[in-house]
Amino acid sequence: MVDILWQVRAFVYSHFADTTRPPSVEETAAHFNIKTEEAGELYKELNNRHSFFLEPETLTIRMANPFSGIPTDFKVHVNGKTYFANCAWDMLGIPAALHSDAVIDAIFTESNESIQLEVKDGKVINYAQGGVPAEDGGSSSLLIHFPLPFTRWYDDLVFT
Amino acid sequence: MLLFRSEEWIEKWCKRNHLERGEILTINQVWELSKLWYHNRMSVDYHGRSMEQVAEIFRKAGLTSKFWYPRS
Repeated sequence: MVDILWQVRAFVYSHFADTTRPPSVEETAAHFNIKTEEAGELYKELNNRHSFFLEPETLTIRMANPFSGIPTDFKVHVNGKTYFANCAWDMLGIPAALHSDAVIDAIFTESNESIQLEVKDGKVINYAQGGVPAEDGGSSSLLIHFPLPFTRWYDDLVFT
Repeated sequence: MLLFRSEEWIEKWCKRNHLERGEILTINQVWELSKLWYHNRMSVDYHGRSMEQVAEIFRKAGLTSKFWYPRS
């Protein structure tokens, strides 16, 4: 079971990267030529191991960090595809995971303004100031708030 | 983890949600953390990481306060 478990994890991530969405349990079962029930048990085990996260009481993948299975305020455009990231950290996690440049459309929390960032040549660039980045890329003043200490991240991952 | 324009907006958000302020990082700090945290996420050999590996990533990213301790 262990071998196929990690193959399923890899398939889910590969599917996300290729299609921008998670595979359904039926798609995973078909890919591995196994029963849907068996694929479901593998999904539950990977959820228990924090390899990805299911919607409560379902076999629908909500998060395979940094990818989100549902729309969010963090859109990440990479190589002609648009992904949703789970949070402000994960919007940078997608280009890091894919080892690619990216354009990010995000919404500031509380002020609700939109912003476009670019990850290019290993740097984060903010084009908010009239399309001209500051000397440091214009992103040094943008802030990401981590509300909970690491020991509590998995208590409620959606909130985190 | 949410994106804010300034600390002022973080204070407003915390107050409105009756939450304590957590840790605030610049986007460049989070980019450095992202590369350490996610660089091998697509690998078939990635099976998660130990608490020791988590602590090492935070250390490399310069995150050394108690907030980042992997064990309480």
